[in-house]
Amino acid sequence: MSKWFANGADRARKSWVRPFVTCALLMLAIVIGDCRAVSALPTGKVMAIPAFARKYGLPCSACHTAWPELNNFGLVFRDNGYQLMNDRDSPIWQNPSYFPITFRITPQWHRESTSNQPVDSIPGGGSGSTLVSRNVTQAGFDLSGMDLWSAGTLYKNISFQLLPSSDSFAVWHFESAWVRFDNIKGSSWLNFKFGRFELDNLISEKRFLFLSANGGLYQTYHFDVPGSVNDFGIGDNQIGMELAGHNADSSMRYSIALLSSNEGGTGLTESNLPMGLPSNRGYDGYMAFTKSFNAGSWGYEQFQAYAYIGQRGTYFQTTSGTPLVALGNEPFYRVGFAGQLHFKNLELLPYFMHGHDSAYLGTGLPDTAGLPAGAKAPTFNGGFIEGQYFVNPQLVFFGRFEKIGVTQQAFVNEGANLPSNYGDVTAYSVGYRYYPIMFSRAGLAWHNEYSISKSVGIVPLSGDGTGLPPLPLPNSQNVWSSSVFIGFDFDF
Amino acid sequence: MTLKNFAVTFVLGSMALVTVGATSMRAQSHVNSPDPALGAPSVDSTESHIGGLTGHAADGKKLYRRFCIGCHGPDGNGQGMNAQWIDPKPRDFTEATFKCRSTPTGTLPTDDDLYNAITRGFVTTNMPAWRPLTPQERANLVAFVKTWSPRWAKEKPGTPLTIPAETPITIESILHGRQIFQKLECWKCHGPQGHGDGPSADTLTDSKNNPIRPYDFSSGSRFMCGVTNQDLYRIFMTGLDGSPMPSFADVVKPEEAWDLVHFLRTLQPLKTQEADLWQTYRAAHGADIKPIGPDAAPGGK
Amino acid sequence: MRTKYFLALTIAVLLGSGMLVFANPPAGSGSISGKITYTGTPPKMKPIDMSKEPSCAKQHATPVMTENVDTGPGNALAWVVVYISAGDQGSSAPSQAVRYDQKGCQYIPHVLPMQVSQQLQIYNDDQTSHNIHPLAKVNSEWNKSQPPGSPPIDTKYDKAEFIPVKCNIHPWMHGYFVVLNTSHYAVSGDDGSFSIKGLPAGKYTVTAWQEQYGQQTQDVTISGSETKTANFTFKVLPY
Repeated sequence: MSKWFANGADRARKSWVRPFVTCALLMLAIVIGDCRAVSALPTGKVMAIPAFARKYGLPCSACHTAWPELNNFGLVFRDNGYQLMNDRDSPIWQNPSYFPITFRITPQWHRESTSNQPVDSIPGGGSGSTLVSRNVTQAGFDLSGMDLWSAGTLYKNISFQLLPSSDSFAVWHFESAWVRFDNIKGSSWLNFKFGRFELDNLISEKRFLFLSANGGLYQTYHFDVPGSVNDFGIGDNQIGMELAGHNADSSMRYSIALLSSNEGGTGLTESNLPMGLPSNRGYDGYMAFTKSFNAGSWGYEQFQAYAYIGQRGTYFQTTSGTPLVALGNEPFYRVGFAGQLHFKNLELLPYFMHGHDSAYLGTGLPDTAGLPAGAKAPTFNGGFIEGQYFVNPQLVFFGRFEKIGVTQQAFVNEGANLPSNYGDVTAYSVGYRYYPIMFSRAGLAWHNEYSISKSVGIVPLSGDGTGLPPLPLPNSQNVWSSSVFIGFDFDF
Repeated sequence: MTLKNFAVTFVLGSMALVTVGATSMRAQSHVNSPDPALGAPSVDSTESHIGGLTGHAADGKKLYRRFCIGCHGPDGNGQGMNAQWIDPKPRDFTEATFKCRSTPTGTLPTDDDLYNAITRGFVTTNMPAWRPLTPQERANLVAFVKTWSPRWAKEKPGTPLTIPAETPITIESILHGRQIFQKLECWKCHGPQGHGDGPSADTLTDSKNNPIRPYDFSSGSRFMCGVTNQDLYRIFMTGLDGSPMPSFADVVKPEEAWDLVHFLRTLQPLKTQEADLWQTYRAAHGADIKPIGPDAAPGGK
Repeated sequence: MRTKYFLALTIAVLLGSGMLVFANPPAGSGSISGKITYTGTPPKMKPIDMSKEPSCAKQHATPVMTENVDTGPGNALAWVVVYISAGDQGSSAPSQAVRYDQKGCQYIPHVLPMQVSQQLQIYNDDQTSHNIHPLAKVNSEWNKSQPPGSPPIDTKYDKAEFIPVKCNIHPWMHGYFVVLNTSHYAVSGDDGSFSIKGLPAGKYTVTAWQEQYGQQTQDVTISGSETKTANFTFKVLPY
């Protein structure tokens, strides 16, 4: 069998037999394999909570197009502060044994392959070895993230969310933790949230249907022009406070947030990890406005316009070289629009972003120094179009095409030997999810996905952080990274 | 490129294999089409008409599977998988008995009645307000709900109640309403102060013999069938079929019914004109007011 | 002259009897009678506590008993409806209404048989309000309030059904409307006996229905004006 595999070459490559057999063997292997150990998703993606289904007796499909993605009814439930507004939302009405907690784990088989990686020509290095461009491929069974998600109501009109999340090495952080005062003064237009939370992105990266290393993130949601010291990603949970509101059926919504300028970092640092660099005492602002249009039996068509205005420090106040606090704040912004368009069983999600960093952020210099001649503000335009087709509430096919183009390089990268489209990203993703069971007690999805992304001159962002920057020109080329993902997504 | 081709073929192949397997597996829950042999209206032809909208049962069937099936069940009889943990139980559509109607007791509700019930939901129950669905989607669901019972094929909905214009809110109206409350013995279930603690309240059962509580006015909660004075008028004039709440249309004159509505508002802890008038009156004449209940003479003030 | 008179008389008589023939279906002269009894130990009927409704409680010197299994001397079962379920169904509903009374917080009679489309009149003879709530599943279920002094409720049922009747205000009140297609029915008395008269010759299936123990059938053939006996025995349990 293995010889046939190895020697299959051209004939077998084009044959459909090998993939079928491989798939069948894999299915068998996964079922036999031990799925009980727990590991971590690089980014928390729990957002489907059977506890809500248990509390209200609704099927998962009532709130989710295909969990974890929300439909309009689920969006209103969430906007109301996880309340159905039926005078039975307060936890005092629940059976005392009810606990609003959920687990999500995804044991999987996956395969990552990245091209144009710098590899020692003689394995192990040693004299005479040089770096050459080669493909690096890794594959095998794996466990993805464990998220321990709790959300619901503390009392009528006080909701909360607590999401400790660990990576595959059991390093824990708080993905989100917030309290929200809902329907202040009895008005659905006034809701105040405080803590660490996801921004009000119409297309939520935390609730989307992708799980692979390369497909399990929106590139646009984390892109920064290479060379810019900005680390902002609109898909990252930020820390601060938010005032949000909506009308009764959420056909009009707004969100205004005031956030620390440290990418949601805790401990007044730039990141969620201990020993991060100190943050910059600055504040970012985010606003989003969403409007839906009734398209009859098709459903609702939603559009969102958003803007994020923030600042990052350009140098540190230090003691004996150790940073104490970031200073020299320079601004940046991200603006754009998003859409969620329904055509009965087909859903289209277009997204566009224009990003602009201050010229200083692209120089790596403190803003007390003069701006070098010719330094321009790094900018980019990016976006994606995603499609989902729901055969029925238990089977969904999805695909995505994403493109990001740098329109102005950072000053540090202006120069020879870098292509003009340095940093550009193109990404494709396709897959399906089948939900063999859909009780209100727990969820299970059989997830298959293929994703591939290409970056010019840099390694593409991927959920597991793999990949190395390619060798410099003339050896450096486009870096392709592909993921194949087959797994069982358990949600309790 | 070899790698890419392999990967693509591999994934597409596995997808095809599993999809074949998946679609041949029975869906975990599927909506049984109502049996035309029993005389139930056909899913393909049943329509609903709400305002300018026309709903279609065939479209409603897909929505039912997504939103309704967990409680109301694949056979539309309220025996969904979650029904065992729900109180009150989900509506059994096969009986075509509905609580919130504008039509007389024992008759079918209008399409508007069903549409309003879906949109508004039922407070203190597990039936959510489905307002986040588009009006067309709700109209489609109304059409599909009608395919569960053969009654819809043979009977027409009852004639909606004519509600006369509301009479002015005066203390005389409230006092007369109080007399009616005493005379009609509403307090036997709802209690003298409307707390839902009347002498018969503990033994009430609905038409499927499940225990049920009468509405507690002192909770200030919205009514089962709405929030306005009109809704309250309709509730006791048409009765809530399937529950112990009877229709009083034969025993209350339409003008008098408004007096009862005004009095009932005073039992709620809400800021209303009726409550203000009643508070003022009680402050001045508190000693004269005879309590409601068995000791009061019929028609006593 | 006499011949003409005689002819007219004959024609008149013939026409008259012809009208008589078409006005009423041929009145049979057969009948089926019998006794309903039980074997086994029946449940004990319990006294009803009407203290929540003093105006009714004082109408009964001793408390009334529940009536779901009403027995009589000689192992008799009362309130069993016996009717013809197959065979000649008799005539359609008479214009005479049947009457149902709420008296002393009880339903009188406990079981009321009637025909499809026969007028039913429901009276409240008590000083308290009742709500009359027939729990029909085949017919429409309705629920009406009937305060003391209100006029009788006039209604009818279009389909055959055994309909439990209850009052929500007084939870001990239980009764039945038995809506039948046939005019050939009877209800067993305290001695368990019943008699269905006016049956033309033919084959019949007789059904006996008791509210707790269900239905039993027997086949009976009537020829001419005989009286056939059909006894029914229900197996009862103490619970």
